[in-house]
Amino acid sequence: MFLALKELKHAKLRYTLMSIIIVLIAWLVFILSGLGNGLSTLSAAAVKNLDADYVVYEDGAKATFSKSLISNSLVDDIKKNKDVKDATPFGAAMAAISHGKKDEEKTDIAVLGIKPGEFIEPKVVEGKQLDPDIKNGVLANDTLKDKGYKIGDEVQVDSSTIKLKIVGFVEGETYNHLPVLFSNVDQWRDYAFAAPGSNNGIKDVVNAIVLQAPDLDPAQLDKSINGIETVTKSAAINGMPGYMEENGTILMMLAFLIVISAFVIAVFFYVITIQKTQQFGVMKAIGASNGFITKAIVSQVFVLSVVGILIGVALTYLTALVFPENMPFNLDAKLVVLYGIALLVISLLSSLISVRQIAKIDPLTALGRVE
Amino acid sequence: MNGLQIKNVTKNYKEGNSSITALNNASMEVKPGEFVAIVGPSGSGKSTLLSVVGALLKPTSGTVSINDKEITKLSSKALSKFRLQEIGFILQSSNLIPYLNVTDQLILVKKMTGKVTKEDQEKAKKLLTELGLGGKLKKYPNELSGGERQRVAIARSLMNDSNVILADEPTASLDSKRAHEVVKLIADEVKKRNKAAIMVTHDERMLTYCDKVYKMEDGILTLQK
Repeated sequence: MFLALKELKHAKLRYTLMSIIIVLIAWLVFILSGLGNGLSTLSAAAVKNLDADYVVYEDGAKATFSKSLISNSLVDDIKKNKDVKDATPFGAAMAAISHGKKDEEKTDIAVLGIKPGEFIEPKVVEGKQLDPDIKNGVLANDTLKDKGYKIGDEVQVDSSTIKLKIVGFVEGETYNHLPVLFSNVDQWRDYAFAAPGSNNGIKDVVNAIVLQAPDLDPAQLDKSINGIETVTKSAAINGMPGYMEENGTILMMLAFLIVISAFVIAVFFYVITIQKTQQFGVMKAIGASNGFITKAIVSQVFVLSVVGILIGVALTYLTALVFPENMPFNLDAKLVVLYGIALLVISLLSSLISVRQIAKIDPLTALGRVE
Repeated sequence: MNGLQIKNVTKNYKEGNSSITALNNASMEVKPGEFVAIVGPSGSGKSTLLSVVGALLKPTSGTVSINDKEITKLSSKALSKFRLQEIGFILQSSNLIPYLNVTDQLILVKKMTGKVTKEDQEKAKKLLTELGLGGKLKKYPNELSGGERQRVAIARSLMNDSNVILADEPTASLDSKRAHEVVKLIADEVKKRNKAAIMVTHDERMLTYCDKVYKMEDGILTLQK
């Protein structure tokens, strides 16, 4: 640390430039991670929030809700499996709602059908939970408040005669980038399968059945009941249309950024080390071990990276304040710490290239001429 | 036996298919308190000799012992520790660390061995003051004159109380007045602190300060004075 800090203080410009690069990279990494997190929340929060372990689809649906139709009667069959603690139906449909006034702007929403009182029903932050006796009651995501919806409103569902009544608000529930209305599964079915025959002739049709079953063997369940496929909740999230593509793009950018930062830091310190060959030679001649010089370089990289990453974090939180409200930006403190540590580890690893160079320096160079 | 003994040291370099003998059966002895000079034209092998004595280079054959310890037998890891404890190097003036102030140049040597104590700080200050740098303790090398830089290098070589001082062309970039000052200072410190010292130089004017003068020519070492 002695050498590292003295040198940082002495060559301020050089190391300031270097830390600016680290700051910029860290900043971009954190913003991207916030954006990725925001997008994935937006596209699948309602599924992520399900307090469940497995999801049962129609065989061949490839873990996509919109491709799956199964009968609600399977719930009882599934519950017979000894590993299944609880099971409940789940349905999803896209719709648009309005107050039913003329020339009013409609709002896109997702209607998710659930059974009132079951384990996947989210807790309201305002109003009442779903009631099996109020068939058209719905729990709305609280972002709909901004569009002028409030508790007690009877909203008109577009291209149907159905009116839904908002009984409560829930928080952070989005599906396919849309705010969610949790509805009684029977009401949902009336809307989603209004057209005759659209239920493929299945009685009491739903899209999927959600299970609480931590110790379940999904293959065994699939074998015992005809025509279903059981996947984990995370596979169900990945099966959401566009989810993998969105996340994949952002992850790829993050990976590239981290690799770039590794190379930038590695090259910078490599060049500086080569520049200081003579100096290190002198130190070795006086008696410095490789370890002593290595510590100096690695602690320099450590100090620069930590400072750079911390400034990057600060800038990220500042920019988050400036971002428009409806931008899907969601900084997860856990992710920030994770990527921060990843950047730090990568930069420390990349300094090892310079360390290899130090071991090669011959103390004889200190004598100025090798005969 | 204290001091420095070099016995029948030979160093060969391979250059392509032929072999060059940089040192040919060189022997010498430096007692504590003795200041020895090695002169000779460039390429004569004097730097090679200094490198071998300074534990920077292994000889092809022969032995070098300092205070009865044969350094030619040490591993390269043990050598860097040995250099740190037993050998004080005075290198050419460019060989101070540019981003350390005068005091820290000396503290660095102590850092290499581990912890730096209050006494070490005091010792560095005392050494520098004795060498006439009392007013420049916080200066950086680029703020010093060539002579002052060389005095810092001398102080640095004394910092670890090593038994052997090796000086490599200490007057290379100095005018003659400063060169005399610097070499006289080395001679004084060597006497005062009872060190065994070798100076490699091509500056014949500096030899008056030395107890013995060896001449090196084509790898062969001969006593002149």
